[in-house]
Amino acid sequence: MRSFRTFIFLSTGLTYLLIFIGGLVRVAGAGMGCPDWPKCFGRWIPPTNIDQIPSHIDPATFNIVLAWIEYCNRLFGAIVGLTITITLFLGLKYYSHLPHIKWPLISAFGLTLFEGWLGSVLIHTVLNPLTITLHLLFALIIVMLLLYVSQEAYYLDNPEAEKDSKYPSNIQGLFGLLAFTLLFEVILGTEIRGGLEMIRKDNPMVNSQFLLDMLGPFKYAHSILGFFITGLCGLLWYRLVKQSLNPSSLIVQTSTGLLILIMIQIILGEVLVFFDVIPLIQLFHLWIASWILGIISVQYCAWKRSGLINE
Amino acid sequence: MNRILYIIIPGILLLGFGANWVIQKADRSHDIPVIKQVPDFTFYDQEGQLFNKNRLVNKITVLDFMFTSCTGPCPLMTSNMATLYQEFRNVMEVQFVSITVDPLIDSESKLKEYADFVGVDDDRWQFIRSDIESTKDLKQNGFMLYSGELPQGHAIKFILIDEEGNIRKYFDGTDEASQAVLRKDITNLVKELRS
Repeated sequence: MRSFRTFIFLSTGLTYLLIFIGGLVRVAGAGMGCPDWPKCFGRWIPPTNIDQIPSHIDPATFNIVLAWIEYCNRLFGAIVGLTITITLFLGLKYYSHLPHIKWPLISAFGLTLFEGWLGSVLIHTVLNPLTITLHLLFALIIVMLLLYVSQEAYYLDNPEAEKDSKYPSNIQGLFGLLAFTLLFEVILGTEIRGGLEMIRKDNPMVNSQFLLDMLGPFKYAHSILGFFITGLCGLLWYRLVKQSLNPSSLIVQTSTGLLILIMIQIILGEVLVFFDVIPLIQLFHLWIASWILGIISVQYCAWKRSGLINE
Repeated sequence: MNRILYIIIPGILLLGFGANWVIQKADRSHDIPVIKQVPDFTFYDQEGQLFNKNRLVNKITVLDFMFTSCTGPCPLMTSNMATLYQEFRNVMEVQFVSITVDPLIDSESKLKEYADFVGVDDDRWQFIRSDIESTKDLKQNGFMLYSGELPQGHAIKFILIDEEGNIRKYFDGTDEASQAVLRKDITNLVKELRS
């Protein structure tokens, strides 16, 4: 049982790291670093020399740095896949009688396989923008499922958790609205990124600032929705921390953390708009968005649990 | 909680530095080595104007070998070239050159007709010709490409040439992934030229 807890925490952490690495591949422009899948230039370990490239692949596509970046992403993806598989195995061994652990685990495992397949589609479609967005969306869903199971596993060992806390009962809608808006905001963000790349493809030499201006409506929608999300998070903090009886330290800390992360997101977003589209900032902007979604999911579970055990 | 922060903050800093290193490494990996100089040549474009090596100076050139009546890989190559021609329409430093390997059939007027057919409406894409011997010589000795049985046996490469007339890289003119790399390399060379 302890091994299961270790592995579910490990799976969650590694999946977050994989989202980061996936974003890194994207901003480094290494998505097509390996033009074939699952092998890289026909090899399980990418070539270190141009002579090792098989004759059916054009040697002009070979860039050793990009090949190894993409290869590390795939290797890490395989490690995460393996970790999730072991977690599923342990979960079924110990908790097959608990549907709220069993089914999210099975779903996370199935979606992980689907993600691997989607990765191959990405290569075969030479990075189709819609597929890239789907690849990210499913990663976010997987990480939320894993977080949910981690939290439930934690509650199994700590049955007293959330027992003394009483939260407002009518905030289910707020959670739903927040999750929906956040996902929509992430999609808008990836559309801006995709749009930037699209315009850059047609006008390779124009600067990023001009590109962002061309994306006008998208950019404003993303900013306005961002401020709306800030308002919702502020409201959630008020309801969960100020209008609750004995909020648990998990709720208090995640609520504060959430507000800090939202502030960081606004700053990073404005830096991207007003200064330059800096790849490293783009990367963290997206990664922090995945944390925010995770925190909302953790808070929702804690709130729901408190409602259930205090019924 | 504080203990967790002590682990998380340095961890994130480390990730940031690592990611920055990877991004810079990826940026620098686009440097393209010089392969060799294009030798002098004297060809004529579809307007009958002289086209020699001087026309490569201060331009980033994408060059290929083709012939207008070709039914093999050329239509795909021409279509890929036409896509690039459209994409770089606002970048005056970039030009496209197609050399016919069938000068007997591909007369000036034939090349002009072909240029119109593929949608060329300015001087950024030239179709040039000379006699078959000069064409063979330029292809084989100048560009190091096989030229045994012209016109059919022509190479399907796109050749990227910098503003000083240096061959920088060869691309598969029929392959989609190669086009994506070529697009990036053209952009990088133009940036170099402008800086």
